[in-house]
Amino acid sequence: MSAVIDDAATTDVVVPSVDVAPESQPVGWRHRHLLDVDGLTAIDLDLVMRTADAMREVLARPIAKVPALRGRNVTILFYEASTRTRVSFEVAAKNLSADVVNIAAATSSVTKGESLIDTIRTVEALGAQMLVIRHSVSGAPYLAAEVFSGSVLNGGDGWHAHPTQALLDLYTMRSRLDGGSVAGRKIVILGDVLHSRVARSNIWSLTAAGADLWLCGPPTLLRGFEAWAGRGAAAGRRFHVTSSVEDALRDADVVMALRIQRERMASGLLPSLREYAARYGLTAARLALAKPAALVMHPGPMNEGVEIAAEVAAGPQSVITDQVTNGVAIRMALLYLLAGVASTGSGASPAANASPAA
Amino acid sequence: MTDLDIGRAWLVDPTVAREGPGEIVVRDGILEAVTWLEREEADGIDAGGVVVAPGFIDLHAHLREPGNEDAETVASGLAAAAHGGFTTVCAMPNTTPTLDEPGVLARIRTAAAASGSPVELLAHGAVSTGRDGETLAALGELADAGVVGFSDDGAPVRSASILRNALAYAGALGLPIVDHPEDPTLTDGAEANEGFVSTVLGLRGWPTAAEEAAVGRDLAILADVVRDVPGARLHLTHLSTAAALELVRRAKAAGLPVTCDVTPHHLALSDEWIAGARRFAWEAGEEGDPWRDDALVAAPYGSSLRVNPPLRTPADALACLAALADGTADAIATDHAPHTEVDKMVEFGEAANGISGIETALGLVLEAVDAGHLTLSRAIEALTAGPAAILGRRSRRNGSVGLVEGALADLVVFDRAERWMVSADRLASRGKNSPLIGLDLPGRVLVTIAGGQVAYEADLVTAR
Amino acid sequence: MMSGRRIMTADEIRRATIRLSHEIVEKQAGTDGLLLIGIQRRGVPLARRIAAAILENEGARVPVGALDITFYRDDLSLVAQQPVVKGTELPSGIDGRTVVLVDDVLYTGRTIRAAMDALVDFGRPQAIRLAVLVDRGHRELPIRADHVGKNVPTSREELVRVHLEETDGEDGVEIERIVDVPEPVGAGEPVG
Repeated sequence: MSAVIDDAATTDVVVPSVDVAPESQPVGWRHRHLLDVDGLTAIDLDLVMRTADAMREVLARPIAKVPALRGRNVTILFYEASTRTRVSFEVAAKNLSADVVNIAAATSSVTKGESLIDTIRTVEALGAQMLVIRHSVSGAPYLAAEVFSGSVLNGGDGWHAHPTQALLDLYTMRSRLDGGSVAGRKIVILGDVLHSRVARSNIWSLTAAGADLWLCGPPTLLRGFEAWAGRGAAAGRRFHVTSSVEDALRDADVVMALRIQRERMASGLLPSLREYAARYGLTAARLALAKPAALVMHPGPMNEGVEIAAEVAAGPQSVITDQVTNGVAIRMALLYLLAGVASTGSGASPAANASPAA
Repeated sequence: MTDLDIGRAWLVDPTVAREGPGEIVVRDGILEAVTWLEREEADGIDAGGVVVAPGFIDLHAHLREPGNEDAETVASGLAAAAHGGFTTVCAMPNTTPTLDEPGVLARIRTAAAASGSPVELLAHGAVSTGRDGETLAALGELADAGVVGFSDDGAPVRSASILRNALAYAGALGLPIVDHPEDPTLTDGAEANEGFVSTVLGLRGWPTAAEEAAVGRDLAILADVVRDVPGARLHLTHLSTAAALELVRRAKAAGLPVTCDVTPHHLALSDEWIAGARRFAWEAGEEGDPWRDDALVAAPYGSSLRVNPPLRTPADALACLAALADGTADAIATDHAPHTEVDKMVEFGEAANGISGIETALGLVLEAVDAGHLTLSRAIEALTAGPAAILGRRSRRNGSVGLVEGALADLVVFDRAERWMVSADRLASRGKNSPLIGLDLPGRVLVTIAGGQVAYEADLVTAR
Repeated sequence: MMSGRRIMTADEIRRATIRLSHEIVEKQAGTDGLLLIGIQRRGVPLARRIAAAILENEGARVPVGALDITFYRDDLSLVAQQPVVKGTELPSGIDGRTVVLVDDVLYTGRTIRAAMDALVDFGRPQAIRLAVLVDRGHRELPIRADHVGKNVPTSREELVRVHLEETDGEDGVEIERIVDVPEPVGAGEPVG
């Protein structure tokens, strides 16, 4: 056996700060579903982050698996093709010893002839206790939550929300930024904001965490966000909207590039991918406008050479692979937290977003 | 035939611009006596209690028959109308088959007769064959058969050139073109009014410009046609935006023969409801932010709120109210659009457009009255004399409505002080797609008398 | 802060801790291969106190770790809210060592069962022993402590509360009757 590892008298066992205060009762998780980020308070965000810390520790173990969700059925119902998010949820659920059922419903419910509600009832009859759903129509998880008696976890809906992505993004930023906080940091989301559920969810979480958030892209892909920014400012959720890459990137602490899709050309929102890459692509030259140690992020999958240059994506400032690892920890944390609420069967108003459970 | 005595109520007669305490007597279906009470006789009677008004006229209702009887039939639609206080209903022609020839009209008239409902059924014919927007329907034959206007509703008259011809041709027949103003190239795939709420919810934006551009087009064509065909008339239905109403306001001031209506849901509800708010437009105010205001009380993405045109901002709803108040909007029309559960209980973006609204129209309008955004008399006028003027003599009510002694009784009695809870069970319509289900509305209808017969009567013993 | 009947004072806790440290060393015949692992949360400061006592008496530094058994609990479906995870920090390599689990109260034995499950996921200790400050009886599993600070007969309607300076601001053990809670199931604290 290798030498003595610890000095009993001086070693600090890591005890989270919340436990230091005498008689402190940590605030628990109250939400039965995770459908959006807008209902999460700063305390909720903190709880998710701390639980994800514990999950990262589990992931570092020789056996990266704990029995917390043993016997629990987690059904992953994806109406949109997505390998990375689906696999991330699957790995997360399996690391918690849950039974995982995967359903790829690549077509929309309408073309398939079976309504979403029927499908939800069917998977529930087949034993689903927690449902991870991805759907191309904004708001579909809310419909699922109305009929499903367990917990619904939104794995991305239309343009609306991608809560686990926003939370893993926040987690990645907090773990990589000096000081462990995004408060006051200039964070830029660059690209196709209009169609991006990642951007929308990040607006909620990053403004809640006090970031100096900037949205940047061609004006056709920012439509509506000026209106949101105006209301947001009045409500204390300030962010900036600009089509000037230079203004956005200057002195940024974090730059998150968004995927651009070919369909945008067909609908006349952009002249061409080439023109997009030339004007809005995250190149090394543009990144040089940001702070020297600025983090580069991307929710994936990437179009290298379009919204992000390959050398930037693979460069020293990139934390893109961190995002992937943290994604598993965040999803484990959320499955774990939601399982506690769902198991009591005491969830209130099933339809309400992230409603208090008791 | 019907006998009814209503003593000590609040009478509203928009034809003589009079409202006040009074009593009515109906004998054998004839409105035998209308007595206006004075001074001490009137003590204790105010406008907040039982109201007697002429029966309401709905310029715009989808009765779904023939073709989609699962959603509504003529019989269930007329029953719903009566429950809502309406005694005259104009059916829209977007049925299957389309009401683009007299045979379909005869069919729904037969259904109305078979229903036994005394509610008067009128109909608009299609502008274009099969509402394809390309070839004119048999406008003359339809006019002879008794349609009251022409509309491709559900969609705008797609081709500007067809609209131009239709306005001229129908004008010569003395009938209006009822256009649904929407520039479809701006609304492809659209889900919700483009703005703050749609952006937050990630719903495809439905810009107000789509309505404004279409109204602009229609008015320009009307101005052109009316020079040659003075009888040409344009009616713009379910206007929902401040900008479009402003265009109509100016067109009217310039003397163009244009009229328009607004719906109860566009004047009371707003796009906030899709986010889960349940407050009226005037409660939200122009700068309302339901997230900031902690006003989100229901689940978002309720598909019963998906409607065309979409629910707009609270500011637009207030503009609809202002347009009603100043006469820019001539009428309140329900755009009653019943749907089956199969078509509605789906993802928001996949849901059919429309609100089953003929039974909740009065309640929403009274909410606006109670909130001080509309006078009771103007509200009643927009539900009676306003649409009657647009229909002219093609209704059995002959262009006028009023509490006229000696005429066949055609009236509604409702109690403003009594609220009722909207529920699927209480809606006579087959379409249960109402965003108001579970909510209380004021102004429960007690009796509706159409053409001298009782069309609806509340179960007063159990309910009061 | 404390409201029930006091059954151990700060001084008694101090003496019990020293006694436990002696017993542990005696049983192991020294400190070689010894590891103290406290169960979150009050087992952790107790383990550190025992290690400090060993250092004072034997001059040997025994490594200390912290084990969070939250993910191994068998009662997750019974609690109203997921317990807050407090974190696990083990000295690397438990293989072949003698691990002494340290906890404040031994009750049903379910916490210890969970702790052993957790531990074996990290490796294969030579032996696992158990040291507790208070044994209050009512075992539901075949588990017995090797070292006990104080045996306290209790009824199931009673609650034993251990307070430690590090977590609660003061030292003391008290016992109180619970009226409303029929099952010993808490939202935040592990069972047993």
